[in-house]
Amino acid sequence: MKSNEVKLIREDGRRLDGRAFDELRPLKIEVGVLEKCDGSAYVELGKTKVYAAVFGPREVHPKHLALADRAILNCRYHMASFSVDERKPLGMTRREIELSKVIREALESVVFLEEFPRTCIDVYIEVIQADGGTRTAGITAGSLALAEAGIPMIDLVAGVAVGKINGHLVLDISDIEDKYGEADMPVAMAPRLNSIVLLQLNGRLTGEEFKNALELAKKGIMEIYQQQREALRRKYSGISAEEV
Amino acid sequence: MPLYFSEKEIVLPGQLLSDNGRRSGEGTYVLDGKVYAAVIGLATIKNEKVCVIPLKGVYNPQVGDKVIGIIAEVKPNGYEVSLGKHLFATVKIPDKREVQAMNFKIGDVIYGVVKESGLRGVFLETGDKLKKITSGLLIMIHPSKIPRLIGRRGSMINMLKKETGCELIIGKNGYIVIRGDNPLGEFAALSAIKLIEREAHSQGLTERVGKLIKKIMQGAVS
Amino acid sequence: MSTAIQPKKNITARIVQDKIYSLLQQSKRLDGRGLYDMRSITITTNLIEKADGSALVTLGGTKILAGIKTEIGAPYLDRPDEGSFTINAELLPLASISFEPGPPDERGVELARVVDRSIRESKVLDLKKLCLIEGEKAYILFIDIYVLDYDGNYYDPSLIAALAAIATARIPEYKVVDGKIQKTGAYFTPKLQSLPFTVTFGLIKDKLIVDPHLEEESVLDVSIIIGVDEKDNIVSIQKNSPGLIPEHLLTKMIEIAIEKAREIRKIFCEKLNISLD
Repeated sequence: MKSNEVKLIREDGRRLDGRAFDELRPLKIEVGVLEKCDGSAYVELGKTKVYAAVFGPREVHPKHLALADRAILNCRYHMASFSVDERKPLGMTRREIELSKVIREALESVVFLEEFPRTCIDVYIEVIQADGGTRTAGITAGSLALAEAGIPMIDLVAGVAVGKINGHLVLDISDIEDKYGEADMPVAMAPRLNSIVLLQLNGRLTGEEFKNALELAKKGIMEIYQQQREALRRKYSGISAEEV
Repeated sequence: MPLYFSEKEIVLPGQLLSDNGRRSGEGTYVLDGKVYAAVIGLATIKNEKVCVIPLKGVYNPQVGDKVIGIIAEVKPNGYEVSLGKHLFATVKIPDKREVQAMNFKIGDVIYGVVKESGLRGVFLETGDKLKKITSGLLIMIHPSKIPRLIGRRGSMINMLKKETGCELIIGKNGYIVIRGDNPLGEFAALSAIKLIEREAHSQGLTERVGKLIKKIMQGAVS
Repeated sequence: MSTAIQPKKNITARIVQDKIYSLLQQSKRLDGRGLYDMRSITITTNLIEKADGSALVTLGGTKILAGIKTEIGAPYLDRPDEGSFTINAELLPLASISFEPGPPDERGVELARVVDRSIRESKVLDLKKLCLIEGEKAYILFIDIYVLDYDGNYYDPSLIAALAAIATARIPEYKVVDGKIQKTGAYFTPKLQSLPFTVTFGLIKDKLIVDPHLEEESVLDVSIIIGVDEKDNIVSIQKNSPGLIPEHLLTKMIEIAIEKAREIRKIFCEKLNISLD
């Protein structure tokens, strides 16, 4: 499916949108953007735009589904119909169901679920525009929403998709690079633990390329992680020890 | 023993706080013998332990806490009470006739005291320690902001009561009942509480709250 | 996705209704508004580049995102010379603890249909202009509405968002060459022929309010939505809850709806810098 026919690298050695191989798209992160949930975040990476909201911990209904020793983490990754080039039909596609699962598992890896037995925590990720890297942007937003909701966790998690286009490894692939490139590899990490929480590959890489791609992803993730932390600090700036 | 934070510094999940794993307190966890923050909050030392006071988080009922709840279910031997969000408490009354005599209905607001809180659930005291609140403006704020609303030795709450002329009943679970004779005072109290919730940890808050109340009471803000 | 895990219905405290009502008797509301005041409206347009039109509208704490995608398809058999539009609405679980994941429930369908009726009956779009080849090819507009944050009354801002998305849309233009259609490479914005706005009313005992927020909504005895166009015609009505509406109140509601729709129209035209003519 992946072809090498479409030129994704310009004469000047830059990518179609003018980026260097190891460059992220412009990143904008905001925390606490929605009011009616317990925590929320908005992440914009180029034209990829994602909201995340967290509810909970709250009671599980029906009660018999509750777990005696920990909380259940639910996750729904969903795209707006107009977020993609071809209108997405309403309802959950197979792709959205799969991504909901891998995102949930990525977030579960860092949340102290055992602190809230018999409850559930819901993470809702809404992609309002998709231009590549939506699941990783969803994880980046989802982990911030969890943090804002006051859910204890080992670390924030951040993600980015790396890929191979016209034989070159590149960071943060856009939709067109995903479509016509040779490989797409979304990666999410808990940087503090230096551990992977999500890893998928769609395409072909040599062992050497994989190693380099992972390094490239890590570089991007560290940049995103920095900005995540800054966004949280911004949200709580002006907070002082006064009378606490 | 090195610490990696200054007192009451804002810390984020995953942030290294101390090299001494034995000093891990509330809101922290230990990894490879070191203490890290688990939640967003203010890092501090409490009883020799490194703790993070959460800025936002769930209410964890403690025995003796005064709470405000809404009757959610009436049972032959008591009541189920919603304490907001995911939390429910049980009122157990062995005598059926007593339940009938109390005659609480679904939707009634009660003021109670936590008797027990643990794996079996949350239970409230009965008898004199369970009262029905019959009127007032019921609002919910984030439970973690309640201490700030009360202030140091009640400084904030006393100022609110004095300036707005309202009676304020506070549940540790985040519910607050505002009761006053004049709607302007109630608005002033409501607006002030919302300001405190929004800017709980910012500097000069007491002064801003005072100004807001004065402005509303003088009718400058509708 | 475990859709079986559902939150318990919110229990409304009895004293809340008493309080809200006693304030209303003094012509006051919890957020300081007058009985017939709308909350403030913000409109941001064209924030989704991949959509042919989009708008993010807030009404107080309620936040609505609407987007348009256009496709070319066959006209309806009974209207061979017209293009068409379809409106969908989803109450996203992000927006409220009372919205559940899953396909649009009856509330979402009702919202979509109320917005649809308002736009259709007031003939906002000249559908004949959206036809390319009679009986064969026409523009089909898919207008999708998402409730992102829910602080009461999602009806009025959803219609505003749909209209703002249409009014600022850039739809890829086609032309007919030798009986076939091809893209011209240019874009067009559909001309608005009418500007209807809905006004949501709530009744608590004998007190009528406009644009109820979430706390008020939880204690309403009954609510109704009235849509009015720029000629003060009533273009849509929906009683959307159980309860009794005293007949004598309807005339008053319609008078208020006309006045409020004018206010919204003024704000809408100013913010989008458009006029109807």
